[in-house]
Amino acid sequence: MVVAYLCPVMIIEDVIEFLKKVPPFQSLDNAELKSIVEGISIEFYPKGLTILHQGGPASEYLRIIKKGGVKVFIKSSDEEEVVIDYRSEGDSFGFLSLVSGGRSRANVVAVEDTIAYLINKKTIASLLDVNPAFTEFFLKSFLNKYIDKTYKEMHNKSLLYGGGDKLLFTTPVGELATKDVVTASQDITIKEAAEIMSEKRISSLVLVDSEGIPAGIVTDRDLRDKSVSKGRDIKDKVNSIMSVSLIKAEAREYCFEALLKMIRYNIHHLIVVDEGRLKGMITNHDLMMLQGTSPISIAREIESQQTIEGLAPAAMKINTIIGILLKEGARASNITRIITEINDRLARKILEIAERNYGSPPVDYCWIAFGSEGRKEQTFKTDQDNAIIYANPASEKDDAEARKYFAEFTRFVRDALVTCGFPLCPADFMASNARWCQSLDVWKEYFSKWINNPTPEAILRSLIFFDFRPIHGNLKLAEDLRSYLEHHLKNQNIFFARMAGVITKNRPPLGFFKSFIVLKSGEHKDTLNLKLRGIGPIVDIARLFALERGVHVTSTLERIKALKAKHPVISELGAEIEQAFEFITLLRVHHQIEQIEKSVPPDNFINPGKLSNLEKKSLKESFQLILKVQDAIVEIYRAGMVNQ
Amino acid sequence: MNSLASYKGRITDILSGKRPSVDTDAAIESVDYVVLDTELTGLNPRKDSIVSIGAVRMKGGRIDLGNIFYRLINPSSVMKHKSIVIHGITPSEVAEKPPIEGVMSEFIDFCREDVIVGHFISLDLDFINREVKRINGAPLKNQVVDTCNIHEWIRFNDGDFSRHYGGLAEELNLFSLAKKYRIPFSNAHNAINDAFVTAQLFQRFLSFLPRFGVKTLKDLLQIGKP
Repeated sequence: MVVAYLCPVMIIEDVIEFLKKVPPFQSLDNAELKSIVEGISIEFYPKGLTILHQGGPASEYLRIIKKGGVKVFIKSSDEEEVVIDYRSEGDSFGFLSLVSGGRSRANVVAVEDTIAYLINKKTIASLLDVNPAFTEFFLKSFLNKYIDKTYKEMHNKSLLYGGGDKLLFTTPVGELATKDVVTASQDITIKEAAEIMSEKRISSLVLVDSEGIPAGIVTDRDLRDKSVSKGRDIKDKVNSIMSVSLIKAEAREYCFEALLKMIRYNIHHLIVVDEGRLKGMITNHDLMMLQGTSPISIAREIESQQTIEGLAPAAMKINTIIGILLKEGARASNITRIITEINDRLARKILEIAERNYGSPPVDYCWIAFGSEGRKEQTFKTDQDNAIIYANPASEKDDAEARKYFAEFTRFVRDALVTCGFPLCPADFMASNARWCQSLDVWKEYFSKWINNPTPEAILRSLIFFDFRPIHGNLKLAEDLRSYLEHHLKNQNIFFARMAGVITKNRPPLGFFKSFIVLKSGEHKDTLNLKLRGIGPIVDIARLFALERGVHVTSTLERIKALKAKHPVISELGAEIEQAFEFITLLRVHHQIEQIEKSVPPDNFINPGKLSNLEKKSLKESFQLILKVQDAIVEIYRAGMVNQ
Repeated sequence: MNSLASYKGRITDILSGKRPSVDTDAAIESVDYVVLDTELTGLNPRKDSIVSIGAVRMKGGRIDLGNIFYRLINPSSVMKHKSIVIHGITPSEVAEKPPIEGVMSEFIDFCREDVIVGHFISLDLDFINREVKRINGAPLKNQVVDTCNIHEWIRFNDGDFSRHYGGLAEELNLFSLAKKYRIPFSNAHNAINDAFVTAQLFQRFLSFLPRFGVKTLKDLLQIGKP
């Protein structure tokens, strides 16, 4: 039925005006917009409603948010929630599964009461067909987000130990394409084609012309839909039923582009051609298997060095790798893990070289790292934080000998680490300081003294040293010290209350009206220290609970994971704390890589005013969460804190 | 046999003036609705008449902008000064418009068998049915629900809902409710704009009602009958 109306109707005009401000619709003229709007429908989603389900049916509409906002996230195989994005007014969602027709790739949940304009599939398809700007906008804005975050995070979980695959952005399609693709002449009959396919057990057959250039493809589906069900004579030539619009990838194109085509056309394999000639076939699966190799190559380079001079240049490449990993959308915890792994190898290599130079040590020793290195949370080159535990010597004389040996040994290692880009520790927490190069028994004494007499200084020492992690040597020594510590911490309520009192004094910089509190003057005016005020509190919270509940691991995320079953606060808020930690760390790493790219020494001062809305929102939420946990801690340890 | 029987049943229904055979067990999210509003020369059905009719179709909770109906009508009675101030349509604007008969039969077609929705719908229906009766000999047979009554029902039956939208509404007119449910509206009150606001109000209700046990059209008709 034709429904006409008189004069411009405001409810239509309003939508047109709205779309005029929304990219890429703003590039369309009034008539085009009007015809789009006359096919639009409007939906309302109450806060909390899941609009699209990951793995659920494909979206039939592109939804543009008129009012409100949504969260787009995916659940990984281990039920981890990975937030892809928050979208708000003028943003859209549901595009990918709309064009690909596949299952919905993410969950979309309304985070506020939300009104959306729905544009149907047909309209979008015709816009994409005639409007290159449109295609580019949507493919870029949607795919980049997904490929950066989803594919990378989900499939690059073990970047360092991964299968040695190649990078999506740097590997030409030709390198991955399977070479032996079954082809046949386009002049054979349908029957012959079907025979070849069943004999070779393949679901598609590439048909070539007399020059060997691909002319089309015939698939199982073509045999069903165009031949059998139409009652076509099987002696007809196969080229009467083949698909001629071959979707091809050039061998020199990057895999990223091939993936775009697959998603765009909803196909799972692409023919790869080189100068028009068939080179092979590439599948969805091939691309999913891609992983970064670069960290591995650095690790290998480190392994192969025999001198400190040789190690230094390899060590300097880490910054570049971090840049690449960030651009590929690796999550912060993966990046810090890789850096830690590489730095550990570097330290071990230096220690091996030192052992060669000075001969084997008179007693067993264990090289330990603490601080961020101990927690496996290093980003860019951080200060050295290391120490030596050596086996209890049998006599005074043995002790003196060990001291003499390690004095030279540790100086060499310290200087070598400086050469490789690790600055000295300003507080002199280094093995080269005789105080931190001690026998197991002395270390035990240190620890028990700090615990039994928790002065402010002892607490600060505990915060740093209790994150120790063995790097090299006789690891048993470090394990002994760890069990000693665990045993000694049992029921040390006063110590824990003191520690709780110290760490809850470092409140995240969030003001009363949820505004960021920034530095008011000085070199870092208008910024806040993300490491000290954001990451620090979370690290402290995880450490406090971990020490109290006898959790051995030292990294913040591992501690939280272990505490989920052991501490009520973490079992309730653990998942959120993990997310906050990931987020703030990522923000920090992004900030630092930007500085490095501008040749500025990396620091931790970020200006919250320069963050995107999504980042601001996430940072505020993270800070609020920290405040909430700190309040819970104050409540738990209230009794013990009174006496401080 | 079966289909013939049901066909006969339907004819009988229609002849006997029963409601069209809309499936009242259908989920409220899958029913087609026509949300309407009229502008009148005044409030007295004996003296006044319709100036314009606006309606939007909803497929479940989805308002379909490609399916809207908006007509100005040459009124049979003299427009009263007071109502001109409200809707802003002056006599000269409508003088050019078609007379009501043509518009009404188009409107009857537009409504199909969909459920009619409106705010204080009885008044609009009185006016519409007066015309429909003149043309068809019988009033519209569509099912009808009133958004005002739905709102009242929710208000008295669920505290959560009211809390979500900040307490009880004191006024029941369309714009007080629109404000309460944070529905944007302009001050240009005409039949189509107001029908659109009503549709959005109804859309909010549809999103909440299943949680309150109102799942089928039958349930909805019960709580929303004018």
